Amino acid sequence: MKKSLHLHISLIITACIFLSSCDSPKLKPPREDSSHENQETTEGAGKVDREFARELAREFGREFAIEFARQMKDSSNPINLGFVKDINVTKSMEGILGGDGKVHPLLAHCSEDVLEFYHKHPDCFSISSIDNLPNDLNWQDGSEEQEFASPKAKNGGTWEVFMRDFPRTLRTIGPDANGAFRSYLLDYNVISLVHAHPNSDGYYPGLAKSWAVGRDGKTVYFRLDPQAKYSDGEKVKVSDFFFFFYFMRSKHIQAPWYNDFYGKDKFEKVTLYDEETLSITFYKAKPDVVERVSIRAKPEHFYEELDGEFLSKYQWNPEPTTGAYVALPENVDKGKSVTLVRQKDWWADEKRFFRYRFNPDKIKVSVVRDYNKAFEIFLKGGVDMFGLAKTEFWYDKLPDTHKLVQNGYLSKVTFFNQTPPPSYALRINSQKPPFDNLNIRIGFHHAMNFDMVLEKIFRGDFVRMNTVADGYGARSHPTLKARKFSIEKALEHFAKADFKERGGDGILVNSKGERLSIELLTGYRHFEDVLVVLKEQAKKAGLDLKLKVLEPTAAWKAANEKNHQVIFSAFNSFVELFPRFWEPYHSDNAYQEVGDSKFEEDGSLKPNLTTKVSTNNFTQTAVREIDHLINKYRNEEDLGKITKMAHQLSQMIHDHAVWVPAWKKPWLRIGHWNWVKFPEDWGPKETRDYEEFQVFWIDEVEKDKILKAMDAGVSVTEQPTVVIYDNYKNN
Amino acid sequence: MFQLNPLTRKKLARFRSIKRGYWSFLILVFLYLLSLAGELFVNNRALLVSYKNEIFFPTYGEQMSGKDFGLDYEYEVDYRELKKKFIREDSGNWVLMPVVPYGPYEMDYGEEEATGFSPPNLRRSHFCGTDKTERDVLARLLYGFRIAMTFAIGYLVLTYLIAIAAGSLMGYLGGKSDMLGLRFVEIWANVPFLYMVIILVSVMPGGWGVGWQVSSLLIIMVMFSWTGMTYYIRASVYKEKSRDYIAAARVIGASPVRIIFKHLLPNVVSTLVTFAPFTIAAAISSITALDFLGYGLPPPTPSWGELLKQGVSNLRTAPWIVISTVTALVFTLTLVTFIGEAVREAFDPKKFSTYE
Repeated sequence: MKKSLHLHISLIITACIFLSSCDSPKLKPPREDSSHENQETTEGAGKVDREFARELAREFGREFAIEFARQMKDSSNPINLGFVKDINVTKSMEGILGGDGKVHPLLAHCSEDVLEFYHKHPDCFSISSIDNLPNDLNWQDGSEEQEFASPKAKNGGTWEVFMRDFPRTLRTIGPDANGAFRSYLLDYNVISLVHAHPNSDGYYPGLAKSWAVGRDGKTVYFRLDPQAKYSDGEKVKVSDFFFFFYFMRSKHIQAPWYNDFYGKDKFEKVTLYDEETLSITFYKAKPDVVERVSIRAKPEHFYEELDGEFLSKYQWNPEPTTGAYVALPENVDKGKSVTLVRQKDWWADEKRFFRYRFNPDKIKVSVVRDYNKAFEIFLKGGVDMFGLAKTEFWYDKLPDTHKLVQNGYLSKVTFFNQTPPPSYALRINSQKPPFDNLNIRIGFHHAMNFDMVLEKIFRGDFVRMNTVADGYGARSHPTLKARKFSIEKALEHFAKADFKERGGDGILVNSKGERLSIELLTGYRHFEDVLVVLKEQAKKAGLDLKLKVLEPTAAWKAANEKNHQVIFSAFNSFVELFPRFWEPYHSDNAYQEVGDSKFEEDGSLKPNLTTKVSTNNFTQTAVREIDHLINKYRNEEDLGKITKMAHQLSQMIHDHAVWVPAWKKPWLRIGHWNWVKFPEDWGPKETRDYEEFQVFWIDEVEKDKILKAMDAGVSVTEQPTVVIYDNYKNN
Repeated sequence: MFQLNPLTRKKLARFRSIKRGYWSFLILVFLYLLSLAGELFVNNRALLVSYKNEIFFPTYGEQMSGKDFGLDYEYEVDYRELKKKFIREDSGNWVLMPVVPYGPYEMDYGEEEATGFSPPNLRRSHFCGTDKTERDVLARLLYGFRIAMTFAIGYLVLTYLIAIAAGSLMGYLGGKSDMLGLRFVEIWANVPFLYMVIILVSVMPGGWGVGWQVSSLLIIMVMFSWTGMTYYIRASVYKEKSRDYIAAARVIGASPVRIIFKHLLPNVVSTLVTFAPFTIAAAISSITALDFLGYGLPPPTPSWGELLKQGVSNLRTAPWIVISTVTALVFTLTLVTFIGEAVREAFDPKKFSTYE
């Protein structure tokens, strides 16, 4: 590594000497006091040098550029390369965001590259004065909301968890960063401007102590909490929210998804007003705009600017966090475990909504590659909690009669939550014959025996999903039900599509002699048993299902290319106010032809349309009426109308019969050792994952007691500890 | 095709005299034949149904619907229910079921408590218990054995065909073609077999039915494993080629084809035979391993690998799956190994060397 760096240096030095000797004005040092006008005239000197230095720093990192400058100074052929320090020191003449030719004090600390970025996008980044803040704003601070943690919580202890793979990096962005471990660094930990309250439709303050939605419905104003700071002691600055976009839109992070997600077409503008006031403008007015623009702070003082070394430099060097837990490089036992340590004097320790949370002193995340082995470790007490959603774990491997449960060492908890479930469903490609026939699609719906799957495989614990948008509260259709398994109805609809006779193997045949045979693709090997049940039951309705189980990525690819007939898959749903219809059901995501140009006068599809690949429209839905309604739905700002349209859309997609809803689980099911304590209601109703809100605590006295009781073989409770929390159970 | 020479006949007699190997061979052949007729012993279709004084043989042939026996449904009749019904009605109709009245695909969710992983149960005739989706383990073992054995035999035949063709060509022609051929074989042999199979299987288009998928898996596996045998064939052909009887044949004017088939192969074949049982064992192991990893036969084809996987992940709660599968696997592979040892001993050249 070192050797190659030296090689680079010497190569560049050679190149530079060569260039320098050809172009003598370049040797002149730039004038530090030069103003913008001067800059223009001395183009040949300072600017070229600086460009070159910046290019160096970009490609090879700033440290390299400085090292380069140092070496040049020491070399026998002294060339004045004083400009290199410009990269750090000079406040560029280009950075005129303040409007008076000088860098605005709020951005005084920014590096040149960062300033240049802001400068290039004046419509995205602007600095205004506090006097320009609208004075009719209705500031909110979440004080009317209830806390959801328990005052009984105790600090201390180590929370032991497992992960299947050792994280390949401690970055939270870029290649390999999207692993399971990232949740401990980011999702469960870092504080955003404002957080959606998990028990109500309101918000609670995070980095911002108060916020207000502007009159345009798409700008949100935030006032930062003056106490908010990073784990390295630095204060959170307003400019960190400028920097956030510099960071997220940078090519150096190698994360195109983030580049796009935080792109200019979504986040129109960030405006700074003073040291603690800023506003962020979303591209469109939305009822839930607060949570959409509520970003996290990026520690600019830590990164300063990004360059080609980003990935390697921060691979094992995590950024300072606003969250309670810090990952330090010395707590990484490579290949084995990562221990996160709680900050001693975390800034949010005493804040409402953050106190009594993040209780353990340490989180030790150890690698256990095999799931079944992790379960055995859990039973030995090496892991504190274990998800028991799987039927065989809940009923067979840790039954209520298990002695750990009987003796009160371990609890089995069922917690009914209210979140949009992952959308498990059979997605029918309505473009592929025979599914271009509505009757075949409806018949297919009736031939899927999900009742048996729910009863036998999931033993009645899961419930049937009914619509394409379940779990969105009032936005979900209140009465629509999924089509039931019915051999008669299936046969009736198949018969309408000319599949009337049964062949020798019991499968329906049409008048052309074609068998009613469908390929069912999936990437979920662990749900093979479900599909096997569906296959065997579909035979009764004269339908032959051919199962094709691929690796998840291969299955995903096939579906993205719209090569499937039916795919069994699920999209993760997030806690959002209203469901999304455009991605999966708009015809613009099915065919490349835009808008209504793909329809004939009567609304039917024109022949020879070009399939659009790599979209989420796995059902290839292209219906003019649905399109029009989705367009209206996307532009609507009134929640009442959005609700009504969401119901209409759910109904229309149901009638179009391209989506066979599978199941949802209305609860979380976990096992935990009884030294882990939870609040009285166990957790907020929007808990999707037992680790999410970190409201539990480790009771070390209790741990001692349980361990001693285990040694002695005596029980610590009279009742087996099987608990159901159904406060938030629907119906 | 070609007559066995007296030497080979002697070797076969010697094999027959090695009791352990010979009996293993008989047992394995018997088991395989049994599995080929598996529908008569382990099946959800009845052997005989007497309905309204007419006798039906539903085992083979087209499926019979419920309506054929006076029931109210069109799909395949549930013969176990039919049997119960006939006994209840006592009107002279009867059903004769096989010993294990379950098919390998059928989920026996008939009873309330049946939700998967039922332990062995004589009353319900699940002699080895059931798997996760309440399918009979014994039925899946038997049909899995049939598929694995057929697969192994197909694998043996195909790899040997290619290996013999390539090996004897290289050996007989010699010279440049030998040199080039051998280099090709060396390169091809270095393609990692398991990875290639995994990659190809995952991109293989489905939808042509289980038969097609099984044969394409077979072809993929053969493609990457025929190389091993070519070395031996080539060497034996080289050795035999330089013998006087080949020279004599050539002098008489026999064509190369005639020399290869009539003179060379019968003498080379003894080398092959000693490898055959081990190739079978390897084929069974690899198809099981691939299924275990999930890259083998498409679900829900009965397979030992799939059973093993279920068994291993439910080791404590459903030990009957692992116990029966491992027993079956060990038993089969032991039989094959006994045969292999016996063949090797019988064909040992030290016993029957003749000096010219």
